Amino acid sequence: MAIQKTIYKKVLPLAILFTFLILDLFAQKVVRYDLYVKDTIVNFTGKEKRAIAVNGQIPMPTLIFTEGDTAEIYVHNLLKEETSLHWHGLFLPNKEDGVPNLTQMPIKPGATHIYRFPIIQHGTHWYHSHSGLQEQIGMYGSFVMLKKSNGTIQRPGIDDLPTVPVILSEWTDYKAENVHRMLHNANDWFALKKNAVQSYAEAARAGHFKTKLKNEWKRMLAMDVSDVYYDRILMNGTPESEIKSVDGKQLNGGDKVRLRISNGGASSYFWLRYAGGKITVVANDGNDVEPVEVDRLIIAVSETYDIVVTIPVNGTAFELMATTEDRTNAASLYVGNGIKQLIEPMPRLKYFEGMKMMNDMMKMNGRLDDMGMSMSLNQMDMNVVMYPEITGWEKKKGDSSMKGMDMSSDPNRYNANALGDIVTLNYSMLKAPAKTTLPIAETRTLKFELTGNMNRYVWSMDNKVVSEADKILVKRGENLRLILYNGSMMRHPMHLHGHDFRVVNGQGEYAPLKNIIDIMPMETDTLEFNANVEGDWFFHCHILYHMMSGMGRVFSYQNQAANPLIPNPKLAQRKLFADDRKMHFMFLNDFATNGNDGEMMLQNTRWSIGGEWRLGYNDMHGYETETHIGRYIGRMQWFMPFIGFDWRYRKTAAGKTEKNLFGQSSTKDNRALLSAGFNYTLPMLVRLQAEVFTDGIVRFQLRRDDIPVTKKVRASFMVNTDKEYMLGVNYILGRNWSLRTHYDSDMGFGAGISFSY
Amino acid sequence: MKSIILMVSVGLFSITPCQSQIKNAKSETIKVYGNCDMCKSKIEKAGTEKGISKTVWDEKTDMATISYNSKKTSTDAVLKKIALAGYDSDNFLAPDGAYNVLPGCCKYDRVNKVAVIIPVKDQAMEMNINHSEHNMKMDTAKMNMPLQEANQLQAVYDNYFGLKDALVKSDAITAASKAAAILTAINAVQMNKMKMEDHMAYMKVEADLKKDAITISTKKDIAVQREAFANLSKNMIDLIKGVKPTEAVYLQHCPMYNDGKGADWLSKENGIKNPYYGNMMLNCGKTVETIKQ
Repeated sequence: MAIQKTIYKKVLPLAILFTFLILDLFAQKVVRYDLYVKDTIVNFTGKEKRAIAVNGQIPMPTLIFTEGDTAEIYVHNLLKEETSLHWHGLFLPNKEDGVPNLTQMPIKPGATHIYRFPIIQHGTHWYHSHSGLQEQIGMYGSFVMLKKSNGTIQRPGIDDLPTVPVILSEWTDYKAENVHRMLHNANDWFALKKNAVQSYAEAARAGHFKTKLKNEWKRMLAMDVSDVYYDRILMNGTPESEIKSVDGKQLNGGDKVRLRISNGGASSYFWLRYAGGKITVVANDGNDVEPVEVDRLIIAVSETYDIVVTIPVNGTAFELMATTEDRTNAASLYVGNGIKQLIEPMPRLKYFEGMKMMNDMMKMNGRLDDMGMSMSLNQMDMNVVMYPEITGWEKKKGDSSMKGMDMSSDPNRYNANALGDIVTLNYSMLKAPAKTTLPIAETRTLKFELTGNMNRYVWSMDNKVVSEADKILVKRGENLRLILYNGSMMRHPMHLHGHDFRVVNGQGEYAPLKNIIDIMPMETDTLEFNANVEGDWFFHCHILYHMMSGMGRVFSYQNQAANPLIPNPKLAQRKLFADDRKMHFMFLNDFATNGNDGEMMLQNTRWSIGGEWRLGYNDMHGYETETHIGRYIGRMQWFMPFIGFDWRYRKTAAGKTEKNLFGQSSTKDNRALLSAGFNYTLPMLVRLQAEVFTDGIVRFQLRRDDIPVTKKVRASFMVNTDKEYMLGVNYILGRNWSLRTHYDSDMGFGAGISFSY
Repeated sequence: MKSIILMVSVGLFSITPCQSQIKNAKSETIKVYGNCDMCKSKIEKAGTEKGISKTVWDEKTDMATISYNSKKTSTDAVLKKIALAGYDSDNFLAPDGAYNVLPGCCKYDRVNKVAVIIPVKDQAMEMNINHSEHNMKMDTAKMNMPLQEANQLQAVYDNYFGLKDALVKSDAITAASKAAAILTAINAVQMNKMKMEDHMAYMKVEADLKKDAITISTKKDIAVQREAFANLSKNMIDLIKGVKPTEAVYLQHCPMYNDGKGADWLSKENGIKNPYYGNMMLNCGKTVETIKQ
């Protein structure tokens, strides 16, 4: 923890020093930073885990420049793996953008890479690794560009306040690669950790059994507002910290403090709330906005907000709390001196209300239906149905006081600001202080639908991942208007590299400038920007695990000069595409008294290679394996045709033959056959498998695993036309282990322990 | 054989107490503000976690003895939990919401909390403004009798609106105090200074108003308060239609309350903020009548 504790002490004076250095000297000067990227061991939870520190610290050091400087950043890669650094939200030449295999080749272990670019903007930004999952384990830091001191855009009362950069992040003791793999295997361990399994028993207890049934009928797995469970939430690298003084000046009652907040979390949105009163938002994504007073705001992954808070009285420090959107964890920063005034923790989400809402929105074909509401700019938050502080506490079973209440026609039923007296920031409230109209040029409109499939954790745009889509060609000088509709069930913070876009939000010529826009399910947002810097620019969802699954596109300028840092474009492209083509491995085996049952699978966006086995302990019970190679079809991926290979051996008394439901007979005693067939997910998430073997035998099978009976109990069943059946129950012990008992028509009753990876 | 049994049982006994003990134990005695027995149980519950921390609070001295596993937690972490349950210490101030929901007997004096002075919304100021308005009205009232009569009931009306706002916020404690203020205001009404018909209108509802105000001021259950408020509003509407206040008042209706039987209330604003459901259904209802002089 020593690393984290020293951050304030180290970074702040450094930051201050740099500020003065820069202010004192003439502009146009070169500001150099040396960053040493190195493996480290951290201990956030009592367990020692691997992380990556830069210059010995997590987060990475705050880099401070002034508009007009030239940045010169030396990145020394002391890791045993490749790395890169992306300057988030910056306007710079494409080859300095730091996207490995797109704007440069990765920085090899032991190598030093120099990023050099002029600073031509100001505001709160941040920087992070764009390589693999390194951002999750420490590679994020604040990047602050100050306004020129003689500039005309200085805002007295805001720009001259004591200012502190704050970067938010999360920590999990699980390896990031494992988190990614577990997400792809629809593992519900994180839900269990968050107490958000939403099982049938829990549903019944909450009076929502029918809701759960309808949810599974519509082929949905239990939903949460976020995917990953984190052990710790960090503000500047620590769960609890204090700001008692800024620039050596102690903070007193009546003082205002400006916080430059960046969300460097890999996949968490954070609610920001302050115990000392209202929060004044003064900038967003590094761009000034007209000050707006709110009670709370949610900061999307990779967004930045500059906020001003007031210390209302002397002798008290006030808590600024960053709570994850799922409300399971939070970090605190105390602003001021003295006794600490706490803010109330955010109450637990009403998950079953959320499930009910999703049921209403989901059509049987897996598409969403906004029921005629045109939603945009976070103004309507469907999740308010889950917020007790706005829509009331969970009612007790049998409480009929709300009977006869029908909100379905209320146009404000999802409008948090109309429903309660808590003011929540949304994008329509942001207004630029100056006109942001685009230069007059030809305007081209591009439409995208954000698509995805929670069950298989596939995230895409227009149902294509990066490796399946062409680059989007852009003419230099043209204006692009992007219309984005989110047809998936999760929200996505979409980030454009190298450009700021106007968010068309009803503020007319004063539309705010941003480089990330958070789009909630069923929302449509319109963005505009002038294509003014050539290069290959990434446009992607900033949730790290969504990006790595391929949710993005590349905007590529036509006829641009070749990038000198990409000597072999074909190789670079192949490496870029490898991210979303990655195969994810899963393994399951039940060590039971009557045999071993298991399966193993390798899967990616479209392909699935899987094997199943049932191995008895003697020849009478037999041994059988099935191997399937299939491809998922369609947006919801309910349909998967496959080819397979079936092998079984069994010794029955005197070659007894078996007949299936269609009257076809076989001994099943020694079979090695090829097959073709398909899987189809039926309502209630039951998997239908139809398969025809080379000997003409046809088999239909229904199967469902992981029926969430209670928080920790999962039931499963299988039945097929060979008159085989299986019933089983698991009790989850831990992430990998569970107790299992089952009855199998071939092998009889068995009990044992089941291992899953 | 006996010695084995003895050894085993000694072993068992020596293990059992160990399990409830806290490892790496440290102990500190710190002030936690509270009042009564109920506070004691709440503070100790909040400050105790099996195997990690144990808190014992002394009602007489307000001192909490916190023993804790120094490798797993700290006194500050325990005090934070206690503060989140509503109890101030010298390190942490409880969130207002947590303090507000404490039972009446637990409402200790918050000596560490410095009152935030917000100039515009300050209550004392608001009262001053009201007073000066009253004084002005008093002057004009010399020439204008009906206004003076309205003023007789103005305090009753004002506190009714305060009560309504508290119910909108589902704040049972403020609701109770506003209801108590209605009672005080009713008792201060000088009926002999009223016009005859206003006097009659007031006489008709006075006893009922008092009854419901007492219910609301003594019951801490918001559901019970709302039930009484529905009845109180009925009488208040009868009264206000007879003795009209100086400013326009809106009669509003919620069709759902009481299993669809519906209920009315009065508001100074035309916009709907439903006192029967609070945040759950804040905008449910509509204005059915504007009452003006």
